Amino acid sequence: MPESTVLVIEDEQQIRHVVRLALEREGLPVVEAGNCADGLAEAGRCRPDLVILDLGLPDGDGARFIDAFRAWSSVPVLVLSARSTEHDKIGVLDAGADDYLTKPFAVGELQARVRALLRRGRGRLDEAATVRFGEVEVDFSLREVRRGGEPVKLTPIEFRLLGLLVGQAGKVMTHRQLLRLVWGPDASDNSHYLRIYVGHLRHKLEVDPARPRHFLTETGVGYRFRL
Amino acid sequence: MSLMPACTSPGFLSVLRHYGLAVGACGLTAALVLPFQPALDLPNTVMLFLLAVVLVAVLAGRGAAMLASVLGVALFDFLFVPPRFSLEVSHARHLITFAVMLVVSLVVGQLTAGLRVQATEAARRERLARALYDLARELAGAMTLAQVSDAVERFLVVRGDARGRLVLPADQAPTHPWHGDEELAVPDEVLQQAMATGTPARLPRPDGYCCEVLPLSGTTRNRGVLLVRHRADDTGTAPLLEALAALVVTAVERLHFVEVAQAAQLEAVSERLRSTLLSALSHDVRTPLTALYGLADAMLTGPRPLPEEARISTLAIRDQAFRLNGMVGNLLDMARLRSGRVALRREWQPIEEVVGASLKLLESVLAGRSLQVSGLSTQPLLEIDAVLMERVFCNLLENATKYSPAESPIVLSAHDAGEAIEFRVTSGGEGFPPDRLEQVFGLFERGQPEVSIAGMGLGLAICRTIVEAHGGRIRAFNPEQGGGCVAFTLPKGSPPPFEAEAVAEVPPHA
Repeated sequence: MPESTVLVIEDEQQIRHVVRLALEREGLPVVEAGNCADGLAEAGRCRPDLVILDLGLPDGDGARFIDAFRAWSSVPVLVLSARSTEHDKIGVLDAGADDYLTKPFAVGELQARVRALLRRGRGRLDEAATVRFGEVEVDFSLREVRRGGEPVKLTPIEFRLLGLLVGQAGKVMTHRQLLRLVWGPDASDNSHYLRIYVGHLRHKLEVDPARPRHFLTETGVGYRFRL
Repeated sequence: MSLMPACTSPGFLSVLRHYGLAVGACGLTAALVLPFQPALDLPNTVMLFLLAVVLVAVLAGRGAAMLASVLGVALFDFLFVPPRFSLEVSHARHLITFAVMLVVSLVVGQLTAGLRVQATEAARRERLARALYDLARELAGAMTLAQVSDAVERFLVVRGDARGRLVLPADQAPTHPWHGDEELAVPDEVLQQAMATGTPARLPRPDGYCCEVLPLSGTTRNRGVLLVRHRADDTGTAPLLEALAALVVTAVERLHFVEVAQAAQLEAVSERLRSTLLSALSHDVRTPLTALYGLADAMLTGPRPLPEEARISTLAIRDQAFRLNGMVGNLLDMARLRSGRVALRREWQPIEEVVGASLKLLESVLAGRSLQVSGLSTQPLLEIDAVLMERVFCNLLENATKYSPAESPIVLSAHDAGEAIEFRVTSGGEGFPPDRLEQVFGLFERGQPEVSIAGMGLGLAICRTIVEAHGGRIRAFNPEQGGGCVAFTLPKGSPPPFEAEAVAEVPPHA
């Protein structure tokens, strides 16, 4: 497997240090930048496989970087942000960021997110493959779902939602993205449908629907499927 | 005549002087003409008497001119018309002379006096216009309500023996107290009535004066009352007082809106300062905390395990950094919520999902505790701000773990309470101090002030603010079976329609 370079754009030196520490333990070379402008220049120069971006940069709000970056690259972007800025998170995710991590973060969590994003960067999950999580087995080629060996009946919308979430496993999907993909571009008024169907999936596939282990809620932002 | 200048105001002495003047003028004319009598013809004598009447009319007005006319004719008859020194008339043609003389002197007298009145009136109007103009200019430049009040009082004094006083609602009283003129003391009920309804009133005074109560009707509401004391028979002042009230209300309103604009500007500035401070604090405190937490975590998860002692210390550093971060978060949340600028992002959603997210966040806090969750999946959708509601559940569950023995179970339940859904978080332990069930929701209040459990007393205050913003209520009580319980409600509202899919299951793959 070729080495993947990670570009870290963060103005606080100490936090850059923590991120570098975590990534180098994973054997990933790190390139650092302290602001938006340097970040864009470095991105053009070193062609990273992943970008870790702080939302509160001195010369921009992160969304600007993503706009400029997404014009020429589809490399995954992981955003670091403080709590209680859900609206900003939705903004950067809708602008094209792939995931976010709330400060303060554990090293293990950061490493897990980075691994998930790099995996996806190399190619999507094969949709025909069989996916297992917990005691559930989903065969996308046969459109079959089994739980503990027993077949589970899903409605077409539930199955489509399951496919989307599993296909983007580990990544955060905003409410708007999921609504658009399942119900079409005009569905943003019916966000309660999305929440009800996710609830259905939890009741059919989770051991304890009140404490889900796979269909995770990112409050105020969207959902994340964890294998 | 209304609005007579002070010099013509009726008075016995003044009347006496005017009529004396008439008598004197006629007497003097007779005395001057008498010595030249043989030389002067009767018609010339008549002319001289007419001249006297004109002079009297100019100097002393209508009444005196009439007296002078009659007296002139009498004197003329008595002194100059033969038979002299007798009122008898020898010849009928003299009767015509008398009649013509009387009519002419009456008419000339009245006309002259009328001209004089008109001239006086014009001068008065001019003075009045000038005074109003000065008042308007003064009011336009007034910077305080006291200046407005002073200008009005000065204007009324200039205008005559009227007195005025400006009464404003208590919240914007004039800055200098009313130095009591009894004449302008008006019962509070009358003032309030005028202020509330905007209808003027007139209070008679025993000494021939009256007190006008003029409401100052502004564009949006009544701004106050203007009191004017003036002569009760001075009926023509109504238009003047209306003009005065209009000028005053314009000035008062201008000052009011200037004040409103300044207050709004001040508020905008302080709000900007507040949010700048908050975001600076948020960033500047969290950045080192993030580094501290991350570095400690990196040490703990490093490739080489730490010696036991170092591991325990590093673990403590990491956990304390995380707790400190939580406290900063609570402080910032409270500051934001208290500023009243937090817009709720309410969306219809199942409460089970919000609780699930809260439990996920509290995974490490709740580890090893027994938690029973019941009644959540059957509740209808609620229109809530999920981020804020997550704070409520997190704070309540965190409190429950902090203030109860580790082995006691925590129960989170939901049930229908009519118009609302009620949630309860119950835990074991001593519960809340029975005399402080309400206070625990206050800012920086703690249920048990002396206990050594870390916290700032913000958690429940934040919960109350958020629940009340959603139209719910929150209370604390100690259930009979022991322990403590916090219960809060969220209104049901009317959830949007939901149409289930027509197809019951996935069609077999083609």
